[in-house]
Amino acid sequence: MYKDFKGNKVYFSTGGLNLVNDKETLCFVHGAGQNHYSFTQQIRYFVSQGYNVVAPDFPGHGFSEGNQTTSIEEDMLWLAELLAFLKIEKATFIGHSQGCLTILELAEKKPELVMGLVFVAGAMSIPVNDFLIDTSINNPEKAYDLMVTWGQDSYGSFSISDWPGHNHLAEGNAIMKMNDPSVLSTDLKSCNLYENGKQAASTININCLAVLAKFDMMTPLKKGLQMVENIKQCDYKILECGHFLPIEKPKELNALIKNYLNS
Amino acid sequence: MSEKYKFDTMSLHSGHVPDKETGSRAVPIYQTTSYVFKDTDEAAALYNMEVGGHLYTRISNPTIATLEQRLASLDGGVSCVACSSGMAAMHLVVTAICSSGDHIVASNKMYGANINLLQHTMTRFGIETTFVNPNNLEEIEKAIKPNTKLVFGEVIGNPGLDVMNVPEVAKICNKKNVPLAIDATFNTPYLMKPITYGANILIHSLTKWIGGHGIAIGGAIINGGNFDWGNKEKFPTISGSHFALNGISFWEEFGPSALTAKIRAEGMYNFGPSLSPNNAFYILQGIETLSLRMKKHIENTKMMLKFLKENEAVSWLRHPDLEDHPDHKIAKKILPLGSGSIIVFGIKGGRDAGKAFIENVKLSSHLANVGDAKTLLIHPGSTTHSHLSSEAMKMSGLTDDMIRLSVGLEDIEDIKIDFEKGFKAAAKISSKRS
Ligand SMILES: Cc1ncc(COP(=O)(O)O)c(C=O)c1O
Repeated sequence: MYKDFKGNKVYFSTGGLNLVNDKETLCFVHGAGQNHYSFTQQIRYFVSQGYNVVAPDFPGHGFSEGNQTTSIEEDMLWLAELLAFLKIEKATFIGHSQGCLTILELAEKKPELVMGLVFVAGAMSIPVNDFLIDTSINNPEKAYDLMVTWGQDSYGSFSISDWPGHNHLAEGNAIMKMNDPSVLSTDLKSCNLYENGKQAASTININCLAVLAKFDMMTPLKKGLQMVENIKQCDYKILECGHFLPIEKPKELNALIKNYLNS
Repeated sequence: MSEKYKFDTMSLHSGHVPDKETGSRAVPIYQTTSYVFKDTDEAAALYNMEVGGHLYTRISNPTIATLEQRLASLDGGVSCVACSSGMAAMHLVVTAICSSGDHIVASNKMYGANINLLQHTMTRFGIETTFVNPNNLEEIEKAIKPNTKLVFGEVIGNPGLDVMNVPEVAKICNKKNVPLAIDATFNTPYLMKPITYGANILIHSLTKWIGGHGIAIGGAIINGGNFDWGNKEKFPTISGSHFALNGISFWEEFGPSALTAKIRAEGMYNFGPSLSPNNAFYILQGIETLSLRMKKHIENTKMMLKFLKENEAVSWLRHPDLEDHPDHKIAKKILPLGSGSIIVFGIKGGRDAGKAFIENVKLSSHLANVGDAKTLLIHPGSTTHSHLSSEAMKMSGLTDDMIRLSVGLEDIEDIKIDFEKGFKAAAKISSKRS
């Protein structure tokens, strides 16, 4: 769905349906250099499970126009304002990768918005090495290649999934190419700069879920588990896949989110 | 293009790991029409294409999906739909993109059925085609109109062996925001991957080199995921609300895979040209040795070209790897490993000599196919085009002395001996005439 928001055309996927006032809302928050297509196999599934779904493309990503946000704090404010604009008072937030930092920040600064939190392949901080940042500035397409190939375990690299006919690597690449070329480097720098994750995690007072990837080369499992330890009540599950878990293990992720929502 | 593994490794492994329950190393043949749903929730999710999985083999099947995933990874596409034949693939692409009132620009040097579908069948449904010389870039650009929804051509044309300048045509299509669909049957991903040159959609007749053994008819559509379908006025059935899946927009929900999602949800669902799981298995067996076979096909083709060039009975010889071929320069650039294993040549003595040649070879099979492991021949003048006069054949770019040779994997010395017998018989006719 397209809306004019803060002077720009902004897109957020609702799974093809209009938002309805009395339904619970799930908000999917994409990661660095991604857009709402990271959650293709989650969005329509949860819509048909009876939820409102809002999966925004952050400015410059996917179909959204406008100047990119340059820090996790700005990401969080943009998201909070978008929800206010859509008159959504509370939601369960599902973040992937950088999206986990955004929702950690939101949990601390805008707790009144948060009904639930699901961290997918996330951590409290995501330091990015200089090589990847430099590549994302000088040769974004090369950086997409690197991220996409690091982001899948060997099964994913052989396109092993239940999604008939899909090739994860090329699809991951195509999704990243839909964004403005400057998007990835700006996102990676935002990740690199963010230092408030541990503090934010310690303030969370609700029951959360973390779904982590055993072979994650972008946000290593160890760092995901540190986040789990820093949150008062955070269940976690480890899936046998790489960083792009929502594409590699969609059914498992959906079942875990569903279970969390029902608990 | 993102690839973790190399071509030969992907040919063997993409889309499949040993079966978790049985340990089966080979891809199992799921010879089933349908799949038991775990619960109503799962059934609804599958019908609605919310998550991956299988519900009915007309739409998808695990053995066929392995084939699709393997083809998508070999060609660098985002997704693939396999179907019952190369022609089914062509039809699915045209009907997924075009509606009555739309226009296509297509090469005038394509496989006969590709031309017939556009020239005679689709016109009955209000889809018009302008046929152009595939290497006249100006003509292609000029032919694109506001209602043009597709540009179509073959990398190596059948049977004329013209080579389309895919990178340059892709640039024009990109500028005009029209998708470029390429029939990549004659090159296979081993010789060239058109998506890396900017093509948006591929179709393959899997019947030919990809299957490689002349045992199964099949086709595939590979989606490059590199075309922006966002213009709702131009592509209303892809980016606007569509009746399938509760009125969603394929573009908004599936993005790079919008076209293949539409083909599955509409084309496979409503037309139903599904591949059989058994044929998918046969074709997968073929793919396991695709690069080995293509290397030998090319090697044998080189030797056959030398043999034919030096042979008295041959009046002319055409192959894009020959320097005198009009598209040799383009071929060298985009097909550096070789321009395929089809050779066309003329036989001295015209139509009757051609007939005598065909009737006197034994190892080489006279039939209507290409891309088999075995050497194949056809003489259009005495078969597919026998009803046409020499002049009428010329009009369709053919001559009555023309032989189309699909070079196989035999020891080429044996094929040469076989050909000598045919040439001898042809020479008798030729000398009687003179
Ligand atoms: C270039 C080309 N495209 C498409 C086809 C059609 O393929 P199929 O016979 O699998 O329908 C053929 C078959 O000869 C072909 O040569």
